[in-house]
Amino acid sequence: MTKDADNRSAAPPISGGAIPEASNIARAPSRPATDRVYERSAHDLHAAAGLIALSVLLDSAVEHYRGSYHNKAMFTPLVTATITLTATAHGLRAPAGLGHAGRRGIFVLAVATGAVGTGFHVYDILAKPGGISWQNLFYAAPLGAPSALIVSGLAGFLAEHIRATPPDESARVFGHSVSRSAALGSALALVGTSAEAALLHFRGAFQNPAMFFPVTLPPVAAGLLGFAGLRPAVGAYPVTQACLTATAAIGLAGTGFHAYGVARAMGGWRNWHQNLLDGPPIPTPPSFAALALAGRAALRLLAHDASRAGHTPARAVPP
Amino acid sequence: MSRLRLTIKGPAESGGLIAINGSTPMDNIDPRSLYPDYDVLAKRTSLSWNDATRRVIDARLAVPREPRFFSGEQWATLVAVCRRILPQPADRPEVPIAALLDNLLRTDDTQGFRVDPLPYDGPAWKQGLVALEAEARAAYHAAFPALSERVQDALLKEAQAGRLHHPAWAPMTAALFFKHRILTDIPALYYAHPTSWSEIGFGGPAGPRGYVRMGLNRRDPWEAREVGATSQAPARALTRHAR
Amino acid sequence: MRCHADTDTVDFVIVGTGAGGGTLAARLAEQGFSVVALDAGPFFRPLLDFASDETAQNQLFWTDKRVSSGTNPIKMGGNNSGKAVGGSTVHFAMVSLRFRPEWFKSRSILGYGADWPLDWAEMWHYYSMAEQALAIAGPIHYPWGPKRPRYPYRAHELNAAAKLLARGCEALGYRWSETPLATVSAPRGKSPPCVYRGFCRFGCSTNAKQSALTVWIPRALKAGAEIRDLAMAGRIDVDHQGCATGVHYVREGQWRFQNARNVIVCGYAIETPRLLLNSETACFPDGLANSSGLVGRYLMTQANQAAWGRMEDEVRWYKGPPSLALTEHWNYEDRGKDFFGGYCWMGQGPLPIEWVSVQTSARGLWGPALRTEMMDYNHQIGVKMVGEMLPNEDNRVTLDDDTDQYGLPIPRITYEWSENDKRLINHALNQMTMSLAAIGATRIFPQDDDTNHLAGTARMGFNRETSVVNSDCRSWDIPNLWICDGSVFPTTGGVNPALTIQALALRTADRIKHLAARREL
Repeated sequence: MTKDADNRSAAPPISGGAIPEASNIARAPSRPATDRVYERSAHDLHAAAGLIALSVLLDSAVEHYRGSYHNKAMFTPLVTATITLTATAHGLRAPAGLGHAGRRGIFVLAVATGAVGTGFHVYDILAKPGGISWQNLFYAAPLGAPSALIVSGLAGFLAEHIRATPPDESARVFGHSVSRSAALGSALALVGTSAEAALLHFRGAFQNPAMFFPVTLPPVAAGLLGFAGLRPAVGAYPVTQACLTATAAIGLAGTGFHAYGVARAMGGWRNWHQNLLDGPPIPTPPSFAALALAGRAALRLLAHDASRAGHTPARAVPP
Repeated sequence: MSRLRLTIKGPAESGGLIAINGSTPMDNIDPRSLYPDYDVLAKRTSLSWNDATRRVIDARLAVPREPRFFSGEQWATLVAVCRRILPQPADRPEVPIAALLDNLLRTDDTQGFRVDPLPYDGPAWKQGLVALEAEARAAYHAAFPALSERVQDALLKEAQAGRLHHPAWAPMTAALFFKHRILTDIPALYYAHPTSWSEIGFGGPAGPRGYVRMGLNRRDPWEAREVGATSQAPARALTRHAR
Repeated sequence: MRCHADTDTVDFVIVGTGAGGGTLAARLAEQGFSVVALDAGPFFRPLLDFASDETAQNQLFWTDKRVSSGTNPIKMGGNNSGKAVGGSTVHFAMVSLRFRPEWFKSRSILGYGADWPLDWAEMWHYYSMAEQALAIAGPIHYPWGPKRPRYPYRAHELNAAAKLLARGCEALGYRWSETPLATVSAPRGKSPPCVYRGFCRFGCSTNAKQSALTVWIPRALKAGAEIRDLAMAGRIDVDHQGCATGVHYVREGQWRFQNARNVIVCGYAIETPRLLLNSETACFPDGLANSSGLVGRYLMTQANQAAWGRMEDEVRWYKGPPSLALTEHWNYEDRGKDFFGGYCWMGQGPLPIEWVSVQTSARGLWGPALRTEMMDYNHQIGVKMVGEMLPNEDNRVTLDDDTDQYGLPIPRITYEWSENDKRLINHALNQMTMSLAAIGATRIFPQDDDTNHLAGTARMGFNRETSVVNSDCRSWDIPNLWICDGSVFPTTGGVNPALTIQALALRTADRIKHLAARREL
């Protein structure tokens, strides 16, 4: 390992918008490079899991407060999301290269909680007059919300898998390639999140044209990401990368838009008692940023897999 | 179509209730508020009230307690009538219904229309109170306010049933006066007062802040909590000073 | 705001700025006509002027002297009047429903009432325009009637009272729906989304309500119309050729005269005939536009009876718009009826004063019994009908000998329910009671005496003998005198009239544009 290689890899891959210099790695796949790809991917997946858990924590705290915690089970996502958030924080700070059974257990718990929560929410809709109707899809317990915990748990779980994978082996989970699983999972989660935004923005009559962003761009990014997962190619996926970056930007901007929405409601922020609950949810848009982060980790892994397989296409060289 | 078939009867039987699902009349039980800890005025400075609301409620609470529209005798009759139509508990400040009515008629803040053959609200009230007083003197040789509550009630029931025919009622009738004035204005003024809102657990003024929790058995922290409540709200300690 | 001198001869002077006049002021000004719209009431600023209070908001109602008489005298005041820029839309319950198509031809198709000289399909188009303009928040699929475009805004969340109505309908096997409402469920321009404060019928202090005051009047001002508030019209002048020349009105204690090429009367079913009758001249001794003798006749109100009951659960019906859900089942189902006409029923949320008036008027309660009943306020549930009453020539508005504060003869309103009206009411009371019984309500009682909304008194029709105006809302007798409000309705249907009045005004504006282009004004 040369000093040069070290410097090259130290270039910030996350904010830079391009994966590490794949051509170099591809030419000489070495143990530290694999190490670094795995480490960075695990790091990003942990971060994504944490960000989603944070979003779930805040959102379910607000929404279940609105629901008066009339069922004690409504505290569950708060507890689980907090534990998940702690686990991701721990994972981010823990030494590289080590999987952790405890964290893994927590991520499984998050997945299970999300699944049970979805069941509760479905029941809530069915129990209301009208059953599965627009009224209940809009205003009863939101169908999509608990699955955010599933996504958070899965992202964390994959991160642990990658962590635990020795650098000279390719990361696999339940017999499938981690890179493809991460790509397809992130794509699916992006589609789901976008669908939920579509439902709620439809409820808001798309009164602001900006409300179209989260229902148009993320599905495109998801499509490209999913395609990459199904048909991995060698390369840096520049278009997919760009779409994911834009998706992340939408997520962060969304928080600002939603804060503006609260300000615009009657009484504005002074009436936060009402408007934080009735206005657009501030904690939810960053989920898009988290999923974009997970998607980029998946792309990095895909590129890495491809390079290990010995493909060395020239077009992978970044400009 | 449901198999259930009903015939609606007039409000004569059981206070107008239709006997379905085990209804029973509950007359003359001493009414007690289900919201002893709730004071709607505690929200006065909150976002549930705006300046316009504070202005009108402040004015209502400060209504002068002496008559300016009615004569002394009419006033005494009115006060007695108000106490029978809406008896109030002794352990709290009385809602000054008579004073509110006096103020309303003096400023002519009425609905404006009259139902033939009743005169407009102000003259109708003056004449009606005089007529009621005349009935009391004719039947009991005493002023209406001097009668026992039981006798006052009996006389008012006669008026409601249209069985009083003193010439002083003409051109209106006792029944019309009772229905359109006594039973319209007195309850409306009582339930325009914050004391009554606290009593029945009404949220009271709401604006700019409205309500978030709309479902069955749900309430916002700034709403009244019922004793032995089925409803749930996130913060239970807030009721006394629900703001 | 562009202002006109009284001596300017404007294209249109409009009397009244509610559902009819407000809509026309906006549309005519947008077409480039010069417009002065008079309203007897003040130009309120809801954010500053509106209290959350049932009593104080009496300031919105028409409370000038009126006499109500007849076997079933109509309750005036808050129920069916407005004296403010925006008219009664300032305090209407925002229920925005379309007529059933057959009602436009109820005489030929359904065998009662009178036909409208209008085609339902054309009205369907104007309903859509009105719904778009008012950003109606309604269901994705409306279960009754011909297909309509999607409502611009989504329906509101149902409150407990609405959910219970839905349960009652489901128990009876009837469809129910979220009520299309003129209050926004998401931001729109300067309107924040509805905060569910529940004082809708006493003025919306947040401007979420899409009334004439918040929708049409701003559009009218932007297009150059002048809105002259606190201006009470007393008389329309007519020249020797039999054409209207303008309107006498009183403002700040002064009688003034606004010159105009056209006069449009939009004062609703009491003030419109009153103004026409008060404008009598030697040429028109029975009042203007009254060669048929029908001005003031065929007054209609709507049956507004209710069934009330008590739930074990806390309902707290004071939250949210009062009528968030409804069923139009008996507007669209004719089988099994022993009466003509239809009705819908909708959820209710009376505030304390209205609720106590129900207890006293329907049950005659007072004393401890009354206060005891009132303690159950938060457990009450109720459904209320809007039912079609049939037009009857003898239900009418005439002039009384008495005069009001302006020295103008006041209206006398005479009303009697027909046998058909009573059968319809009885049917509805049975149905509504069953719907409450079916959801386990106890202590159920009917309220059999209420009415709401007005129509008739200057009906439109096919010829000058049997009607006051033609399908363009233009009077048969005086070519430049128009009437456009609820008073032109030949029948009133079983739904709240506000949307139909606005659709009609949109059509009239288009017709005026068309006639002007052909130089037929």
